[in-house]
Amino acid sequence: MKAEIIRVLRRPPFGQALTLSKVVLAAYVLLALAAPAIAPQNPYDPLQIYGWEASSPPGTVGSGGFIYLLGTDGLGRDIVSSILYGLRISLFVSITSATVAALIGLTAGVSAAYFGKWVDVAIMRLVDLQLSLPTILIALIAIVTLGPGIDRIILALIIAQWATYARVVRGIALSETGKSYMDAAKLMRLPTSRIIFRHLLPNSIASAVTLIPIEIGHAVALEATLSFLGLGVPMDKPSLGSTVANGFQYLLTGQYWISLFPGLALFGLIASINLVGEDVRRRLDPRSRSI
Amino acid sequence: MTPETTHAPLLRVNNLSLRYLSASGPVTILHDVSFELGRGEILGIIGESGAGKSTLGNAIIDLLAPEFQRATGTIEFGGKAIDAADGKGSGGIRGRRISAIFQDHTASLDPLMSVGAQVEETVLATNSSLSKLQARTRTLELLARVGIPEPHKRHRNYPHQFSGGQRQRVVIAIALAGSPDIIVADEPTSALDATVQKQVLALLRNLVDETNISIVLVTHDMGVISEIADRVVVMRNGQIVEQDVTSTILDAPQNEYTRGLLAAVPRLRTSRTVSEREISKTSTTPFAERDREPPILVAKGVSKTFFAPGLQWGRLSGEAGFALQDVNIQIPRGAITGIVGESGSGKTTIGRIIAGLDTARAGWVKIGESDFDVSRNGRRTGLLGRVQMIFQDPAVSLNPRTTVGETLRESIRFGVSPVSGEEPPDMGAMMDRLGLARSLAGRHPHQLSGGQKQRVAIARALLARPQIVIADEPTSALDVSVQAEIVQLLKESVTERNISMIFISHDLALVQDLCSTIYIFRDGRVEDFGPSDFIFSHSQNPYTRSLIDARPRRFTH
Repeated sequence: MKAEIIRVLRRPPFGQALTLSKVVLAAYVLLALAAPAIAPQNPYDPLQIYGWEASSPPGTVGSGGFIYLLGTDGLGRDIVSSILYGLRISLFVSITSATVAALIGLTAGVSAAYFGKWVDVAIMRLVDLQLSLPTILIALIAIVTLGPGIDRIILALIIAQWATYARVVRGIALSETGKSYMDAAKLMRLPTSRIIFRHLLPNSIASAVTLIPIEIGHAVALEATLSFLGLGVPMDKPSLGSTVANGFQYLLTGQYWISLFPGLALFGLIASINLVGEDVRRRLDPRSRSI
Repeated sequence: MTPETTHAPLLRVNNLSLRYLSASGPVTILHDVSFELGRGEILGIIGESGAGKSTLGNAIIDLLAPEFQRATGTIEFGGKAIDAADGKGSGGIRGRRISAIFQDHTASLDPLMSVGAQVEETVLATNSSLSKLQARTRTLELLARVGIPEPHKRHRNYPHQFSGGQRQRVVIAIALAGSPDIIVADEPTSALDATVQKQVLALLRNLVDETNISIVLVTHDMGVISEIADRVVVMRNGQIVEQDVTSTILDAPQNEYTRGLLAAVPRLRTSRTVSEREISKTSTTPFAERDREPPILVAKGVSKTFFAPGLQWGRLSGEAGFALQDVNIQIPRGAITGIVGESGSGKTTIGRIIAGLDTARAGWVKIGESDFDVSRNGRRTGLLGRVQMIFQDPAVSLNPRTTVGETLRESIRFGVSPVSGEEPPDMGAMMDRLGLARSLAGRHPHQLSGGQKQRVAIARALLARPQIVIADEPTSALDVSVQAEIVQLLKESVTERNISMIFISHDLALVQDLCSTIYIFRDGRVEDFGPSDFIFSHSQNPYTRSLIDARPRRFTH
């Protein structure tokens, strides 16, 4: 019996949970892409917002002729529409920053491992320095230096996140450089770039790739925190995270819907990204494929 | 055999079948296995990888993972069934009546506990009535029994302060702590050098003879079997193909598979098979005028120091951190030169330096007419790439993410540029020659067997068109039957392609058949060298003699 339970828990494909999260993630992406077409309201357009309907509870019929299914926020914006539009910004910012950070971090980490000596010292001390400070602090310093704007946020998130990838991938790459297929590649006198990108990198990134979905999740949270502090995306174009943050002050007065529903949307997004990410990692690793 | 073994077996395995519940459905690992073990007997279980021999050993000590399911059969200890299926009935037997020794002596010991404390812990765990002082006395007895010198001092030392052989002796002491009736020893000497292996095997034999315990010895090595086993069970694909008294198995095996296994064991010839006169002519003066042709490679004064901060190599080895000390070797053209040594002798290091993979502290390598300073980076001096290597473990010598075809094409494309007018080598022809089906080109390494992977590694080295190939223990990770095929291929490659080869090995018998010249390395120095015949039949060097004597007698002629 115990063995049976352990086996079920250990089983790598998540079965229905995986299928569900794939469907959910696909739905999120589709909703984000289709937001302008399907959202009942454009929350960026002041003409479509009725300030006197601020903080309406879910189910209220609005002046725009549609029902506020999930209520409105403190400025009178429809929560459903805010979620749909916020999803676009959150996904765009976090996916872009996590991917670019991964590219930079992986290359830096693998190079540190391959070249060793001063290259390793230079890159890894910078990584140590960054990782010894809270990520939010790095992002704050970056955003304060760079100024506001979505592009700056992405840049700040890249600066804040690349070090994690570099640290993870360097350790793996270091053990890979010790394997004899790397020696064989050197004996062929392959160009250094070919050794790094064709032999070392593909064998080192498996566990760093799993970081990407998690880091996308982090990026969403980080961006929300920055927005909460007023340093994130502009208030007139709220992301999913800043919509949660906007409702925070209303929680104590019982207007739970402003934060709760965007929060649930955020939770579903991160959970489905993580599950699908785990599956992607398994598929990327040829050693886990059966013959 | 002692007389009681015939009527009262200590351990009886009846029609045991085991299944493994893998992700893709149940797989039968053991099929209808039956044997008996008598008191005071060493039973060898031999087989190649995948034979199920370790699973059988683990089933006896009840250490199987929950994925293993017993389909049929029983294991009886002293007439009573051990029920491995629910793990309940075996608690009093495992560890007390049946204990175990594993291959990896480093992983078997806790690095943060003194060896005395580890033995004592087991003494107390298996015999709780002992006082602290009695347990200490018993610990010292056990350490002395397994041959640890000065146990009253050494028991305070930690595992890293012992050599590999001594660590395995400590593991044996722990196995003996509960005064067991049976010890299951899974490859107990495979991680040890030949000379040490011989001593540890002698210790095990001695324990059996003196204390009348029984040992189940799981191994892949016929040499080990021939040295100490009383009876042998030969396994293949989870089934017993033959079982009998050791001498019968060795001298008159009934089964075809057993015969093949025996034939594949390399044998050492020390008898004067070559006439005395001939030897004195060719061998008494190493490198006499018979080598008129200049050597293809000369290494001069190669030294390398170990840089291992905090590890205190100097104190342990007494060699002040020299990995290589003023090594001079000559590699004759168109022949195979053997470099033999035990672990830590520097044999792999010299190979890597010659290939340009490692830098030395000082020294020169001359290939043909070009001189290379090996204290400088091999890529910069141009030494790297002149020599190709075949590595020990085929599991890590191929990039797991590229297919066989991609690996081989890369070698053709980036290998030494062909002499003008010469056709680039043909991958398909090379695969045919090395016995690799062309259809394997689309496969990834994890879809190949160990032997196939090593063939791909050989193909990769040869397709780069080197003049010199270094084979670093190319067969030690392979099963004996595959080993023989690989050695044959290497031999043929050298003659067919007129390349020169350095064959690095710990196995004298393998080197004897293959190499014309042999260098024996010890502690980073060339201890002895000369033509193969000279080394094996005439060398007076005591270290060389001890290496030859460490070989199992059964496989030495």
